[in-house]
Amino acid sequence: GYKFNAERVQQVLEGVLAGTLGTSVYSPQGSALLAQSLAELLRSRAKEVVPPRYKLVCQVLLGQQAQQSLLVASRALWDPESDSFASATFSNTSLFAVATVHGVYFE
Amino acid sequence: QMIFNADEAHNIVKECIESILGKADYNHNKVNQWTAAIVEQSLTHLVKLGKTYKYIVTCAVMQRSGAGLHTANSCFWDTTTDGTCTVRWENRTMNCIVNVFAVAILL
Repeated sequence: GYKFNAERVQQVLEGVLAGTLGTSVYSPQGSALLAQSLAELLRSRAKEVVPPRYKLVCQVLLGQQAQQSLLVASRALWDPESDSFASATFSNTSLFAVATVHGVYFE
Repeated sequence: QMIFNADEAHNIVKECIESILGKADYNHNKVNQWTAAIVEQSLTHLVKLGKTYKYIVTCAVMQRSGAGLHTANSCFWDTTTDGTCTVRWENRTMNCIVNVFAVAILL
């Protein structure tokens, strides 16, 4: 396929989140570093399943579980024929994570 | 060659957040329309700059509960033309994080 396959990317995101965070515990300093390395890992794994000529934006939100409410929204100005995104979430008793990858086709 | 002006984007987004969340208290029933309004208004103002960029804007609004929250991103793109800026905002009852990603297109 030559287009961004959102389902495939979502599977990759879910796999990486579960595999990396499985039993991780939230900590202020540790989690900051974890968020950054997760973003980079997700970006490189997503790149493997996305066709060439796509630029990728990968974001990770990592937070402490505290019975609080969180809503994440996004909008994009792009070409809906070629561009798309995928997202996945993960949570355990200590932390939660939201990962999103947007793929933008570059002529 | 075009370079992303992060300061300009930062100011635009900050004003959008202020105008929508400024005096509000966290309200579970309103979060949906707030995040939608923040991303849409930010996008509209960015587009008015008239630059040949595709934009991705994400917004996370969280109830303040003392819980920690980290955000990170990793991008695969052209570092000479593309850019990002993050705006963090808070008031007494909620946190808001908005990320803008600008991806250059060739016309």
